[in-house]
Amino acid sequence: MHSRVNQWTSNVVEQCLSQLAKLGKPFKYIVTCVIMQKNGAGLQTASSCFWDNSTDGSCTVRWENKSMYCIVSVFGLAL
Amino acid sequence: MGESGEMLDNSYVIRPNFQHKFKPATAKECIHQILKEELVSKQYDPEQVPALTRALSEAVKDKLKEMGYDRYKLVVQVVIGEQRGEGVKMAARCFWDADTDNYAQDIYMNEILLLHLPLLVLQSDPCW
Repeated sequence: MHSRVNQWTSNVVEQCLSQLAKLGKPFKYIVTCVIMQKNGAGLQTASSCFWDNSTDGSCTVRWENKSMYCIVSVFGLAL
Repeated sequence: MGESGEMLDNSYVIRPNFQHKFKPATAKECIHQILKEELVSKQYDPEQVPALTRALSEAVKDKLKEMGYDRYKLVVQVVIGEQRGEGVKMAARCFWDADTDNYAQDIYMNEILLLHLPLLVLQSDPCW
């Protein structure tokens, strides 16, 4: 459903961000979401960060169904 | 930053000066150079691609640090996909300080692979 994917990525990202903001912690957040059709092709993501290891961190969640993969990454940086 | 035993004087600067502000256009040029050099005729090889993505993100991060953004925190993300006609959508949202934080991105495509590189830059808290 090519027409709906745009909306799905936006919704996922906005809802994640609003839930994180509701936590009320003193952090800056970055949320990214990749949705890919299952076609036998390969996809690789990596990230490199320059921050303070004691206070900042990231988390990645992978999800799939019969027709697509979804990868969501969240980076949190302390104020 | 005090770890080596020396104490630096307080600068009392909470926001970057206009000259030191992150400029997305220069960062994008920098990313583009690195991508062109590294990927000019690479194929998608499932064995090598994980190492390639990691190396690319490290290279971009180091190059950006050399450009003088020493009071910024950086997040560099690299996504490499194989071109097989599949559809891919990527979205990002950020919760940050719009005056000081910004992002730059670049996309590189050849017949075999597609690479998307968003780079996010956030101001670190002055902690000297």
